[in-house]
Amino acid sequence: MKTMKSRRSGGDRGGIRKRGPTRTDRDGDMDMDGPGARGGKRGRGGPSRPTGSGSGSGAGAGRPARSGGDRPQARDKTLDAIQRAITNTRDQANIRQGKNNAASNLESFSVRGWKTSKVSSHRDGGVENLIAFLERRMNAHSKSGPRARVTKSRVEGDSLVVSVRPELADRMLRLNESLFAGIHLVVEPYDASSSAALDRELGTTSGTSPSTADTKSKMTMILSKRYYPDTKLLDLSKLSSDPDLVAMGIFNQTSTESKFFPALMKVWEMGFTNTAQRREAVESVSLAHNQLTAVTAVTTLSQTFPDIKNLDLSHNNLKDYRSMSAWRWKFRNLEFLDLTENPFSAEPNFKETLMKWFPKLQTLNNVIVRTAEEIAAQKKTPIPVQAPHFQDDGQIAENFIRAFFTRYDTNRDELVKSVYDHQSEFTINVNTSAPKAQQTESAGWDPYIKKSRNLLKINHLPARMSRVYKGAEKVLELWKSLPETRHPDMTAHPEEYLIECHPVPGLPDPTGQSPTGVGGLMIMVHGKFEESVGGKVETRSFDRTFVIGPGGGMGGIRVINDILCLRAYGGHEAWSPENQAIPYAVAPAATAAAAAAAPVAVPAAVPAPVPAPLAQPGIPHGYGAPAPGKTDAQVQQEQLVAQMSAKSGMTLQFSEMALSGNGWNLDAAWKNFEELKASGTLPATAFLSPA
Amino acid sequence: MATATEDVLTKVSTEAATELINSFYPALKNDRNSIASFYLPTPTSILFNGNTVADGAAVQDIFLNQMPEAFYEVQSFDCQIINRAYPTTTTTGLKPTTEMTVKDMSILVMASGNVRYGENRDLLPRGFSETFVLVPNPSSDRKRRRDWLIQSQNFRLVV
Repeated sequence: MKTMKSRRSGGDRGGIRKRGPTRTDRDGDMDMDGPGARGGKRGRGGPSRPTGSGSGSGAGAGRPARSGGDRPQARDKTLDAIQRAITNTRDQANIRQGKNNAASNLESFSVRGWKTSKVSSHRDGGVENLIAFLERRMNAHSKSGPRARVTKSRVEGDSLVVSVRPELADRMLRLNESLFAGIHLVVEPYDASSSAALDRELGTTSGTSPSTADTKSKMTMILSKRYYPDTKLLDLSKLSSDPDLVAMGIFNQTSTESKFFPALMKVWEMGFTNTAQRREAVESVSLAHNQLTAVTAVTTLSQTFPDIKNLDLSHNNLKDYRSMSAWRWKFRNLEFLDLTENPFSAEPNFKETLMKWFPKLQTLNNVIVRTAEEIAAQKKTPIPVQAPHFQDDGQIAENFIRAFFTRYDTNRDELVKSVYDHQSEFTINVNTSAPKAQQTESAGWDPYIKKSRNLLKINHLPARMSRVYKGAEKVLELWKSLPETRHPDMTAHPEEYLIECHPVPGLPDPTGQSPTGVGGLMIMVHGKFEESVGGKVETRSFDRTFVIGPGGGMGGIRVINDILCLRAYGGHEAWSPENQAIPYAVAPAATAAAAAAAPVAVPAAVPAPVPAPLAQPGIPHGYGAPAPGKTDAQVQQEQLVAQMSAKSGMTLQFSEMALSGNGWNLDAAWKNFEELKASGTLPATAFLSPA
Repeated sequence: MATATEDVLTKVSTEAATELINSFYPALKNDRNSIASFYLPTPTSILFNGNTVADGAAVQDIFLNQMPEAFYEVQSFDCQIINRAYPTTTTTGLKPTTEMTVKDMSILVMASGNVRYGENRDLLPRGFSETFVLVPNPSSDRKRRRDWLIQSQNFRLVV
């Protein structure tokens, strides 16, 4: 088994504790206590760094509004600033913001350029004037409603970070390039990532000095000495006693110390132009012997190396789970973690906490806590995940869904008018605590929460009534108040949707003629969409159920019910079928027999049995067989679909589409299939396994 | 049938949905012998992760014999009335509209939450989405019965 242990025993070179004995210089010990402990937020009008401490070239003003195109320049600036941070002894502890505006619903913007304005010589650097200016301008065009205010502000390097209520976001962005005390302001959405913070924090001036290049080359040299490409190890242990770092004076002041690690990470990232290469270059990192009392100061490690498998944090001073909580949702692929010689290791819930935090963790403090089989079994579900059940008549549901999301994105007006009538109902509910995909920050729910009809939370009858939108007019009015969206193209990205459909009887008959009601279809869609929030693109997941019946709308249908549930982005892994790689030439009966005969590879220790009646790959249990509530015609159709699927190798869904499109004539469907296959029209997803 | 006002319709439908959420999910965990009683004798469609299950008895059988302990947490749910006068077929034929009450509605219920299978608490819960159609219980037995039964159900793990 490939473990860190074997690497370590392989000799000095390549072990996670690579460095041989080095003299530890007590005076040079690194205190990497988080800047958050010292910095804190600066309130409105609070002291900012004096201007003019940099070289003051004044080039900050009039830069393009959007960053991103000027990365090389930003990098140079960063390096330049690192150099200054290292040499500038007057520099005070930074105000770096460790976390995003968690828990608050405000939107943050970075305002730059003002440091070179006429008021920058004021005692507060002009901050008071700037905030007054921003508030005045935000209120300039609105005569009614509450006065627009800057709710929070702080200085971060050459930026004033202002937070405003979300509804003011547009007004704030419109202030970009407005003239303030002789300069043009740059107003942008605030990027809370620490690399951006570093840029802002250090980037008080532009231009690259020779000493900056020197700093970069020194850091690059230090990194290359500590990187072992053959074992993909980056050894960052005992940093404070590294003679090269000591010589650079990194640990002489607290200010440079706190900036050093993010800067080092940045220099590492600069060494790669390709993200994939960067991620693959390192599998193991050691931060042993660094006297860390919390991971706050080195938290950027998780951004630069999110995929590492092995992490050595031994011989530090991490006391309990709180000292590591910054990494709670990071390192989702971590298999090996060493926390020996940390007080945390002796805490009662040590093992449980870390196994919970790192789902793939196998070895903790050199003890095996989980096997690879157990990790694989975790993902197995008691009910195997099958391809979508899609039982549609004459492609009604398919046509409806294909058109729906494109039009919801581009023309809600037209969409409502085409298939919603005066009886159609729409409601929306937000699951604010849903599980999310790994490593994603979830955006706030402001635009939706006041309309959310989560019945767990909305208990009063008047609210339950007012949050139902009945009739095309009301539905449209609500939709127009919701943010614009962009759903993925269903043809290009079918894997991002899971769509199921089945007939439903007993729907109200709009003509009132049928006492037994009319039949229709239920369509359940799971997917994602993108939405622009204050200039930033957020991805959210959704579940949406429609009941459609015959009616006067386009295609002879109408929407009776439309329930939308929104939740944090959760990816689409959950519905990718577990049994995709089945040989398609095997007839369903033979497949079932083979599946029943094959040994089930589930370790006894894990209670994840695979229910035999459900385990027929490709063909769901009961498919093609008579069952209560199933009509004979339905059973016949299912049998045809199964035949078509076995013969063509296509999924049930596509087989069904082929048949329903050819009047349920197997020969005609087969001919159609061969034509489509020959012309290359069929997508790869049409097939159970690559044809 | 007297025409019910909107507030009564909302009250009845949301209470029916709440009753389903508050009784069905606990039954999946603690009272699996009662699972079949939630279903119409001939449901139109029962799907679990794309697997078709024939009826309530089959669902109960799967949960009793094949499922590890399951911990469901519903985090959000909502409902809408599908048909205010659902055509119920009783033993004596189609229920006449003159006998219908406000409770003769069919209801669409949608739940979103998470579920953890098995005792291993280290496992991260999986997100699920589940849609139900509830219809009036056709049984004429007025005692100890549920007002609504599951006509169709579609469970999907989504995270």
